[in-house]
Amino acid sequence: MIKVTIDGRDVELENPVTVLEAAKQAGIIIPTLCYFEGLTPFGGCRLCLVEVEKLPKLQTSCTLMTADGMVVRTETDQIKAARRSVLEFLLINHPLDCPFCDKAGECDLQDLVARYGPEAGRFAEGKRRHPESFDDPIIVRNMERCVLCTRCVRMCNDLQASYSISVTGRGSHSFVEPFSGGKYNCEYCGNCLTVCPVGAIMSRLHRHTYRPWFVEKEIETVCGFCGVGCSMVLQMRENSIIRAIPRAEVGFNKGLLCVRGRFGYEYVESEAQLTTPLMRVDGELKQVSWEEAITFIARRLKEIKDAFGGRAIGAIASGRCTNEDNYMLQKFIRFVIGSNNIDSSARNYYAPAETYLESIFGQGITANLISGIANSDGVLVVGGDPTAINPILGLQIRASWRSGGKVIALGAPGGLKRFVAYELMPTPYSEEIVLSAIVGRLLKGKALSGENTAVEAKLRSLRIPSDEDMEVTGISPEDIARASDDLAGMATSVVVIGPDIIQRERASKNLFLLGAIAYLINARIFLLSERPNYQGVMDMGCLPDFLPGGRPVELEMFRHKIEDALGMKAPEDRGLTLFEMINEAETGGLKALYVMGENPLFNIPDSARVKKALGNLELLVVQDIHLTETAGIADVVLPATAWPEKEGTFTNLERRVQRVRKARRGKLASYGRDDWKIIADIAERFGMTRKYHRVEDVWEEIMHVSALHAGLGYEDIADGKAVWPYSGEPLRGMEGDFSVEGLEDLPHVQDSEKPYLMIERSLYHSGTFSRRSKALLSIYPEPYLMINPVLSERLGLAEGEKARISNERGVLELKVKLNKDVPDGQVLLSNTFEGFGAMGLIGFSTGPVIGSLYIRDNTVRVEKVLV
Amino acid sequence: MDIFEEIRALTEKYPDRRGALLPALYIAQEDAGWLSQEALERVSSALNLPQATVKGVATFYSMYKHRPMGRHLIQLCTNVACMIMGAESLVDFLKGKYGLEPGGTTGDGRFSLVIMECIGACDRAPAMLVDTDFHSDLTEGNIVEILEEYE
Repeated sequence: MIKVTIDGRDVELENPVTVLEAAKQAGIIIPTLCYFEGLTPFGGCRLCLVEVEKLPKLQTSCTLMTADGMVVRTETDQIKAARRSVLEFLLINHPLDCPFCDKAGECDLQDLVARYGPEAGRFAEGKRRHPESFDDPIIVRNMERCVLCTRCVRMCNDLQASYSISVTGRGSHSFVEPFSGGKYNCEYCGNCLTVCPVGAIMSRLHRHTYRPWFVEKEIETVCGFCGVGCSMVLQMRENSIIRAIPRAEVGFNKGLLCVRGRFGYEYVESEAQLTTPLMRVDGELKQVSWEEAITFIARRLKEIKDAFGGRAIGAIASGRCTNEDNYMLQKFIRFVIGSNNIDSSARNYYAPAETYLESIFGQGITANLISGIANSDGVLVVGGDPTAINPILGLQIRASWRSGGKVIALGAPGGLKRFVAYELMPTPYSEEIVLSAIVGRLLKGKALSGENTAVEAKLRSLRIPSDEDMEVTGISPEDIARASDDLAGMATSVVVIGPDIIQRERASKNLFLLGAIAYLINARIFLLSERPNYQGVMDMGCLPDFLPGGRPVELEMFRHKIEDALGMKAPEDRGLTLFEMINEAETGGLKALYVMGENPLFNIPDSARVKKALGNLELLVVQDIHLTETAGIADVVLPATAWPEKEGTFTNLERRVQRVRKARRGKLASYGRDDWKIIADIAERFGMTRKYHRVEDVWEEIMHVSALHAGLGYEDIADGKAVWPYSGEPLRGMEGDFSVEGLEDLPHVQDSEKPYLMIERSLYHSGTFSRRSKALLSIYPEPYLMINPVLSERLGLAEGEKARISNERGVLELKVKLNKDVPDGQVLLSNTFEGFGAMGLIGFSTGPVIGSLYIRDNTVRVEKVLV
Repeated sequence: MDIFEEIRALTEKYPDRRGALLPALYIAQEDAGWLSQEALERVSSALNLPQATVKGVATFYSMYKHRPMGRHLIQLCTNVACMIMGAESLVDFLKGKYGLEPGGTTGDGRFSLVIMECIGACDRAPAMLVDTDFHSDLTEGNIVEILEEYE
């Protein structure tokens, strides 16, 4: 126990902390400038100086550790004079352009000078001049205002681990700069904006449009981009979003955001936002009233139901919509229409992977805390770049590396390049062989525990590749041995699974192997999630085979429980998956499709085939915020509210239920209606008697119906601590037998002459929303074909030149970007830009065992376009 | 040897890659006479250190040059002892003789001149370095003789 006295107050400490921290515990706030909680202390600004008895000089409290018996004073005349002097020095060069500076009003330097002075400086010479830099589309740098606290550099290096800026030069000519000296070319997380105490690093998004005291309200909500679910605050003025900022003390993201979360919100204020319902009249979409649209939909759905039965109707739910929206859609389709044909784009990989892993290891196997990754001593990443798909989760992997954790990536490491212990780069589609070899090596080193007999039985019959089998992978047996031994040596490890390892043939084998590795080394499993609410979509029962709460629809006991709770009936056999619905639409078995917040025409491969299938439908209803590709061919389009315009909840990939709050309302918000409300209105026309007035009414029903969410009220969710398992009952002990494709053989890896077209999962884009986010477009403005220097040389295609890619599905011409991290035999294209989606050029079928998207026929011919 | 390889070989001698940064920058500077952005990129990739970090270090130290330099670098001391012994008139002399301003380069790219703080040769002032060679007891007479040795 350490006892110290600070300003006459006795403080008792279990462990030594800095004097600054001890003072904070005693309720004494010592002024600081270069200190920022979470960053390595620097001791550079000299504002946190304190007097310590028996020490001759003033000490910096941010770096001085407490010792037993220490007597500290934090506000004496000597200290005040020292602080005033420090500030006087800083003001020698600081321009005092506060009337013009966006930071005025929330500037640490301004506040400190207001408190300690000086009223006027004595330095008569001219100030350092350095022109403001507008070279970057997002960040303005004004180095005249910089006080060299280095908070931005430490943020960039320590927490973001992007290492994109540094202090250049020396003395009074030191400036914070990115390498280019102008444009940042960084990850654009904007976390440097959070820590800059003055107006030296500012966002261009809201430059000179407001003063901090103009913020009318702050809405605490959850980011609507990916499945991590970072907490953020929307600062609002006149219904317009001024800034999206993090709060260090709110949420598990602890004050960090990524580029999409911080700068991507502009799509909600896009001109393209739908305002009124549209209905196809004489082949064209015409504006109609809500009453007309809803009456029409209800009438047509009834007709189709009467003629063909409920099973001829299906619905697509949305990972971008709230739990409440998805629950309502599920209820409508299942209990009102009488069809289990409900699914979402979670089918692409997330839902089948999770369901499959749960069938092996039990419900909740992928529910693990993101913040725990930082404390793990090793991470295996397969199937995607976490720092691009789920950036804040990716930062946790970097944090694990920082504290000595070993990061092993199978495939291109992307944003983890600097952090992987070594690179394992298998040839395209040979990962299964590599994973089998790793499992084989792990099995040799360790006896099976007998815990999961089903897994162990399968492991016994697993074909382990020989050294000869390994040749095709391009990875040596030595590398396998090293990676396996490293994995075996980990005590608190993590396996991170991304979409690319799932969206292929024999997805079940890959998942089984990854699960087996996790089982053998006792690792936690994380499934990367591209949408904010894929997990919620599943929990709400937007699956053809599961009811809300993850209860199998085919088990009578569970179905009856929910039917009794609702007083309504659901069909007893499983419905169609997303892909089966497309197939059925193609062959005429499915007559009507209700699409909520999804764009299958762009987000499922083989767009031409999907378009034809959807064109066959007698009724296609699309509910969205923009006129998407799918909405463009719909019979009725209903404008919905966007993410900051509605109340509700998202469930993130660690299964934390978090509140989404309404920030915009009134005139400037869209004229759309909440998704759940639109569907409830339609359901009423079918005679649904239950009335929902507010979103809380929907949640109350979810609490009542879903065994997982029993007793979990909005007030319990409010603090963001509602993590699975909630007070309700998880479904344990359901693990039965499961099947694995090709357990006893190895895949035939074909050497393709033409490169494979893979989907680039960009940090700067989220899919189709980000097309309308100006800031994100300023970073990544147009579609690029990413190729590596080897291919570039072979085809004589230089950066910026145009390439033509083609296969039997189509032809695209687009600019080339060189990226040495693109693996050999692959080219990358994002699925973002209108008319240039990667999905349009690839084919698909359904994975036979787990039912996920199986991407195939994705080789393309790449040529240079001669001008 | 390519500087990339040379820098790679250098890392063997240091406990970590960061430790090899200063000597690596010297290698790159020797190669081209100064450190261009491209040179810094090369050092960064050879050492696998972040580009911004490399730039921060390279711009901190005055011995690294960030614009093209003459073939030979004259570093002339004008500190107290050298000043008393006539270093300032040598600066004027170089200006007259070669058109060489402090911080500048001759038109033919032969010499660059940098005024240096004390180089620790006060007993033999005025003194200068040409590249890495030390010359002392300079006069208007012998400085030309010395410089004419450098092509």
